[in-house]
Amino acid sequence: MHRARLKRRFTEAVGFAWLTLPAVLLVIAFVIVPFVMSLTYSFTKWNGLDKIPTFIGLTNFANLLKDTDMMKTLGFTFKYAAFVVVFTNIIALFLAILLDSGVKGQKVLRTALFLPYIISLIVVGFVWKFLLSKGFTSLFDLTHLKVFGLSWLGDAKLAFIAVTVVSVWQAIGFYIVIYIAGLQTVPRDVIEAATIDGAGRLRRFFNVTLPLIMASVTICVFYSITNALKAFDVVFVLTEGGPGTATTSVALNIYQTAFVYSRFGYGTAQSVVLFLFILVITVLQLTLFKSREVEA
Amino acid sequence: MKKNLPLSILLTVVLYIFVLIYLVPLLLLLTNSIKSFREIMTNVMSFPTHIEWQNFAQAFKLMNYPHLFVNTLIVTVGGTLGVILFSSMAGYKLSRTKGRLSWFLFLLCIAPMMIPFQSFMIALVKVARIGHLIGSDYGLAVIYWGLGAPLTVFLYHGFVKTVPRELDECATIDGCSTGRVFFRIIFPLLQPVTVSAIVLNAMWMWNDFLLPLLILSGTKESLTLQIAVYSFFDRYKTDWHYAIAGVVLTILPAVIFFIVMQKNIVKGMVAGAVKG
Repeated sequence: MHRARLKRRFTEAVGFAWLTLPAVLLVIAFVIVPFVMSLTYSFTKWNGLDKIPTFIGLTNFANLLKDTDMMKTLGFTFKYAAFVVVFTNIIALFLAILLDSGVKGQKVLRTALFLPYIISLIVVGFVWKFLLSKGFTSLFDLTHLKVFGLSWLGDAKLAFIAVTVVSVWQAIGFYIVIYIAGLQTVPRDVIEAATIDGAGRLRRFFNVTLPLIMASVTICVFYSITNALKAFDVVFVLTEGGPGTATTSVALNIYQTAFVYSRFGYGTAQSVVLFLFILVITVLQLTLFKSREVEA
Repeated sequence: MKKNLPLSILLTVVLYIFVLIYLVPLLLLLTNSIKSFREIMTNVMSFPTHIEWQNFAQAFKLMNYPHLFVNTLIVTVGGTLGVILFSSMAGYKLSRTKGRLSWFLFLLCIAPMMIPFQSFMIALVKVARIGHLIGSDYGLAVIYWGLGAPLTVFLYHGFVKTVPRELDECATIDGCSTGRVFFRIIFPLLQPVTVSAIVLNAMWMWNDFLLPLLILSGTKESLTLQIAVYSFFDRYKTDWHYAIAGVVLTILPAVIFFIVMQKNIVKGMVAGAVKG
């Protein structure tokens, strides 16, 4: 009796091991180990060629504080993230409400808006590079409007706007779909009750609909924040971080530090800083937004 | 509630115009891809006077498109299949097993969702070099197995709870081994989440740029479409007619996949986002 139970437990353990271990080992090998290595490398000086990195304590982090380029890329990334998050969510929510209000062909419009999201950011960058250079030249010849004559990728301020607009343009369809899904969970009778009570369109939105779709808002803001803080592809193709370093994001800066200038230790220190920033900001955002979620 | 008819018609018209303008960048890409070089240079906005298929034929040849397509397919299909297989197994077993070890392993699997790729990519390249995964499409696919697992395990772990536990128990009593129970009985029932997971992983791997850049950029034979189109665009940036045709060829597979699987893609991406 005892042996039979022992045998059963053994087969159970074997079953558990072979089903779970492949995934667990893969995650450990390709995420956990590299992440822990990054943490340790951030205290070293390492050019990628030496077998063993040299331990230099907190020097990398001390240098980061004095590094004006790093501060500039942090500044750009935060500003960019702020604009992208605000515009993406406001425009997406606005369009979702319009699409959800019984427009004919809602699905066709939604699909059309979703299209840029399935195209890689690299290609999206090219498409806009073509539009902003060649396309705008033609438009300027046709209309003589000043907007089309500006150097959209050559001027620091304009390049910032261009990068922001392209990011919002690419992602908006995804957020619209999530917001529409959220709006469809709002019970019609609650809205009608508010209407009967004499609430106008705006009041109905801010006092009834918005609190009820707060879960969707939380998700959308979370995704747009993390994606914006990690931005790489768009700037890599569209502006190459320029003019100068005006649109260099933290992720692009990490890439260049490590793989262009071979300062791997310093690059990992930057990446640890990026990790901490994203962690703190998203945790703050989630606790702040979650506390506002209500149920109908 | 009665709708204000003229207002809703006006709104519809405005929305359609807005969406048309929204798609102008992509429409211009299409119209210019079939224009001759001179036509592009004189006016980007004009409609093509005749169709210049030559652009595509040239871009196809210059890019070595079929080769790149196969490489990208190897990465995407190999990567997605592995993620689905290993993550569904783990998601199922971790969801069914109670106890501290199981919970700890589950957290270990999903915690990386909070770690941005950029914060460990430098060391990942070193790990890939040690494992001889650099410069190979198969190696890249294997790395995706690990990177795709956290979200996918999480999705399966949640969905398995909706499948009654009695099914496992009956099958086990009937003499099915753990593996058979999972693959024969449980896995087919997880189809909705499998579709989501395939869509999320495949779209990500097909469109990804930074990881393939780090893993494959040293080689010529293993380049994926996204990496190759970057250097192609750079090399032919004055030959717009080739560059644009190349870009159209690059997005074509994703667009066709989207049109065919539209419903699943939108649903899958939203499900992944909302639950993840």
